[in-house]
Amino acid sequence: MIKSLLCVFLLSVSTGVFAANITIKNANNDPLPNAVVWLTAGGPSSVIPPEAPYAMTQQNREFKPRILVVPQNAKVEFPNADSIMHHVYSFSKAKTFELKLYKEHPKAPITFDQTGVVELGCNIHDWMLGYIVVVDSTIFAITDENGHVDLNTNAGEYTLSVWHSGFSDISKIESQTITVATNPITYKVKQEIAEQIDFATDEFDDY
Amino acid sequence: MIINRLMRLALLAGALCFSNVLYAQVKGLIQIRAVQGDNTLSFQEGGIGLYRHDTKSDELILSQGILDFNVDLASSWSAHGVLNANQDPDVGLGFTQAFVKYQPLSNSNYKWHVRVGGFYPLMSLENPDIGWTSPYNYTNSAINSWIGEEVRTVGAEVTIKRPAKRFNSRHSFSFVGATFKGNDPAGTLLAWRGFALHDRQTTFNESVQFAPVAALNEYELRWQANQVLPFEEVDGRFGYYAGIHWDYLKQSQFRIYYYDNNGDPNTVNYSSGQYAWNTRFTSAAWLYKFNSKTRFIAQALNGKTEMGSNALIDNAFYSHYLMLSHKEGKHRVSVRYDYFKVTDNDTTAFDPNASNGEGLTATWRYQLTNKLQIGVEGSALKSAAKNREPIGFNERISQQQIMLNAQWRF
Repeated sequence: MIKSLLCVFLLSVSTGVFAANITIKNANNDPLPNAVVWLTAGGPSSVIPPEAPYAMTQQNREFKPRILVVPQNAKVEFPNADSIMHHVYSFSKAKTFELKLYKEHPKAPITFDQTGVVELGCNIHDWMLGYIVVVDSTIFAITDENGHVDLNTNAGEYTLSVWHSGFSDISKIESQTITVATNPITYKVKQEIAEQIDFATDEFDDY
Repeated sequence: MIINRLMRLALLAGALCFSNVLYAQVKGLIQIRAVQGDNTLSFQEGGIGLYRHDTKSDELILSQGILDFNVDLASSWSAHGVLNANQDPDVGLGFTQAFVKYQPLSNSNYKWHVRVGGFYPLMSLENPDIGWTSPYNYTNSAINSWIGEEVRTVGAEVTIKRPAKRFNSRHSFSFVGATFKGNDPAGTLLAWRGFALHDRQTTFNESVQFAPVAALNEYELRWQANQVLPFEEVDGRFGYYAGIHWDYLKQSQFRIYYYDNNGDPNTVNYSSGQYAWNTRFTSAAWLYKFNSKTRFIAQALNGKTEMGSNALIDNAFYSHYLMLSHKEGKHRVSVRYDYFKVTDNDTTAFDPNASNGEGLTATWRYQLTNKLQIGVEGSALKSAAKNREPIGFNERISQQQIMLNAQWRF
């Protein structure tokens, strides 16, 4: 609480720092939840990822979170919270790997040094699908159910990038140049968004 | 022979595991049971009773003692084994499953895997728990009681899967094909005992007894033993099965299989007293989740079996069950109705094989902790068999049993 108050205070005194108010909509003009949004400033990127690793957990035979956004060169660990083994893999260009994961034997984190979308699967539970979106930015967020994100940054010109797991080609990231000022920004994605299908699985569905 | 090789393979896998410090997952289940049994002697003791237990079992028994191994051999290879300890009818230890699985990582949206060794064809939706046990009733349906005692694959199985998630579809399909040796005497119990209701899986090295039916005293059946070694190879021929799994959102799961052991009914192993039975059947199973708590499971099995020259024995068999299971917090209640029937289609008058029956089983389980579960089950069944009168029993019998179970998992 004190931390967030302090943040608000610091934000309000430092000149030019905004919460860029961005809304993402689909082709029908409806708000688009679960879209990954990030901003990159012009010039060479100088992304310094945090030292502590991010986590992509496997819990109740699902990836948690389903979508994880990390800055380039970030470390990600893959804790298995289930009592059964998961065999997590990716064939994506941005990172190809496989990990056999047991609750009792955590593996060392993996560094994601290439930007792009990493699609995760489990060789044992084929309904498990997760994504790690590696971006050349530290200004990112995932839209809420109103298709909305607030990104704290300085006023100025940026490239706004948007990705959604419903894109038919998940490697196609949409981008547009925007100017961050006081005005709210709305971006309408060009690609069709496939409906996300949820599966009600339980512990007996492995069989 | 094949089974010995299988065991060697499993041991080799185990040795590999320890030499290379690969990971092995070992899980277990110990289930202790107190039964108020029926006074009709169980088939396990050579009686005509269709339950696993009878009044002789009115004491604490180890109803399930299971060790389930899963050893990682390499990225795509793993070895699996299920070791079962039993004390009825005799104290024994043996494998019910032992196989190697090859499941390659593939960039394709289609997935595939192969199992080689000894395993169950995955026809049942009733037995998804550790070591092919049921999380619903303690006593399996008539269909899966029979599959657990007489049907096992010692061979190779290939599965090609179209997982729904990979196609952003609501439907998943799996196509399964297998070929196997052994399992020639499957069908013996259906002919001379009929279907039964129990949870006693036969290990690879075991035989199952049945009542000493009068027909076995006849000249034509003089080589037949008063027990079945269900997984034995008798005729040297390969059997096969094929199946399709169709899942809709995992809410509805449907499986259909056709199984044919391709037994040559004219062949007999004189030393073990086992015939090859030409047993083939279709199994269709359906699971439907009304919601996360309540589910319905049904299965139907329809088939034929033939044994001896000139259709000495020619039977048809049919069974179905309907089950409703509801989970509420730490409680699970499951109720199941079974129907089963064997039709005698041959003209061998001295060997009547017709039998039929129905059963009702209700189970309540309570999860005390993650590892401890207790439960109670009541079951009633009535049955008729034409071969009972010739050995001095009533054709029709009714049986009931009540049991308490306590299980511990590790």
